[in-house]
Amino acid sequence: MARFLGQTQIVLHAILLLIAFLFVAPLIWMVTTSLKAPEDIINGLGAMRWLPHPATLANFHQVLTNVQEFPVWRWTGNSLFISLATTLLIVVVDSLAAFSYSRLSWKGRDKIFAMLVATMMVPGQVLLIPTYLLIRNLQWFDTYWALIIPAASSAFGVFLLRQFFMTIPKELEEAARLDGCGPLGVFRHVILPLSKPAIATLAIFTFMGTWNAFEGPLIFTNSQEMRTLPIGITIFQGHYNAEYGPLMAAATLAAIPILIAFLMFQKHIIKGISLTGLAGR
Amino acid sequence: MSITIKSTSLSSAKPAAVSRAAAPAAAPRRDDRWSGWLFALPHFLLFLVFLLAPTLFGLYLSLHNWHVLAKHHPFVGLANYQSALSDDIFWLALRNTAYFVILAVPAGNLVSLLLALGLAGVKRFATFYKVAFYLPVVISIAVVAVLWQWLFNTQVGLLNLYLDAAVTGLRHLGLPLAPFEPIPWLSNPHMAMPSIALMSIWWGAGGNMILYLAGINNIAPDYYEAATIDGANGWQRFWAITWPLLKPTTLFCLVFSVLGAFQVFGQSYVLYGGASGPGRAALTMVLYMYQQGFSQYEIGYGAAIAYLLFAVVLMLTGIQFWLFSGRKAKD
Repeated sequence: MARFLGQTQIVLHAILLLIAFLFVAPLIWMVTTSLKAPEDIINGLGAMRWLPHPATLANFHQVLTNVQEFPVWRWTGNSLFISLATTLLIVVVDSLAAFSYSRLSWKGRDKIFAMLVATMMVPGQVLLIPTYLLIRNLQWFDTYWALIIPAASSAFGVFLLRQFFMTIPKELEEAARLDGCGPLGVFRHVILPLSKPAIATLAIFTFMGTWNAFEGPLIFTNSQEMRTLPIGITIFQGHYNAEYGPLMAAATLAAIPILIAFLMFQKHIIKGISLTGLAGR
Repeated sequence: MSITIKSTSLSSAKPAAVSRAAAPAAAPRRDDRWSGWLFALPHFLLFLVFLLAPTLFGLYLSLHNWHVLAKHHPFVGLANYQSALSDDIFWLALRNTAYFVILAVPAGNLVSLLLALGLAGVKRFATFYKVAFYLPVVISIAVVAVLWQWLFNTQVGLLNLYLDAAVTGLRHLGLPLAPFEPIPWLSNPHMAMPSIALMSIWWGAGGNMILYLAGINNIAPDYYEAATIDGANGWQRFWAITWPLLKPTTLFCLVFSVLGAFQVFGQSYVLYGGASGPGRAALTMVLYMYQQGFSQYEIGYGAAIAYLLFAVVLMLTGIQFWLFSGRKAKD
């Protein structure tokens, strides 16, 4: 083995493997704790055992059946619907705008674009209080509107797509124009087909960001039915204070869908971060 | 505006229409003025109503005594800012937040850089490691904090159980160590912020790692080959090649980490159930803004806190750019 890998490679792999374990261990611990019986969770040796013995689904049963108090399925549906709707809205709206800012010339375009870029410096938390009042005035409080529309207003997607659209050769556009395409035709037949990777990147990051969003759903909703999964977790936490079996079951339920999505798309996600500098906040 | 051809970077995508004057479609570029607006309009409206307007409205709110339940919201000028600057709890929140930034950002970036350097040196299974390190990043802070609350548990939390086992093991080996005292990760005021920082580094290190890795991979291998021929060891190669060429990446990562770290909120909120932690040790600026705005309904005061946060963040970002561009000029 040493001959194939070299000694430094073996040492490096050993270190990286150890660190990789440290990064994944808390998540494994979350899942295994969720499968443990209550007495195993808090008793000396049982608490340190990595594999539940015996494994039980009692914690999940407790979390999933008390739908009166904890509408977990509804929260999952909310998270899914809000994430999909926001993603769709952002992709459509931002790609149209990015097309305009990169490919169409109109008066004031560059000034407006510069303004968009400048507002990317505004920390999201600064917007929470004014947006909350705005949402109340629009009577959107505790509705899906409140969770979708304000989240779709960022300038980042436009910036990202514009940078990509600019790299598409002018000649292709010229050819389409000669064939009688208007701006919409150029957008549909030239820009969109060539921009699938950039649009997919934006879509994946928007989806993950919306699924995990915390402040917005916490502040813009207040009924049990309108909560999302991450906020649902904090509701569990309030009720099962220090009952870690059900808490870890709920945390596992909230984490699994996004973990599966990540593992499915990890190649695109990691490539997307390297290209766009989106570190995943 | 008539057809002009500029070569600034912002308008470089503008097609050269002049030579195509004979195109069959009558003066297609003139449509752009209107279609350009139409294409940009949906996003521009969202931007106007939900980004620009709230930004300005927040400033307006911060100049008023705005209680949610009150009928009138009198203009008070800078009074909210003055109250904040003479409010001990505000300063505590600012100190706690700055402490968090100091604990989490340099250490977090160092971890990311080291992970990336390790990954860059590895010939196989790099994807496996990348996925493992990035895994925590994709999880909501709510889940992360609930999970770590359990790991931090003083009596039966995994961290203390393993530290206990490690200390006991070393004592059996004859090391003169005191018996392990369980660490009160979350209940001791001095431990609250370090614990939150530890959790946050675990949560976020994978993001910057990927950026550092991209930066390292962008460095031409020729530099390293030349340095190796000149007899440079690994350490010298790092200081002479990797580190200087990674400066733009480092600046980017630092600026955005500081920006993100100053907005720390979910960590404290979930770990302490919306409260401020022992002796308010976990009270951050955004948590204080949240408490003032949404628990006390002091909207104007909360908005002023948000603007002070904005000011601090802008100032620090400016300083970082200045520091890094100044250094670059000297090199």
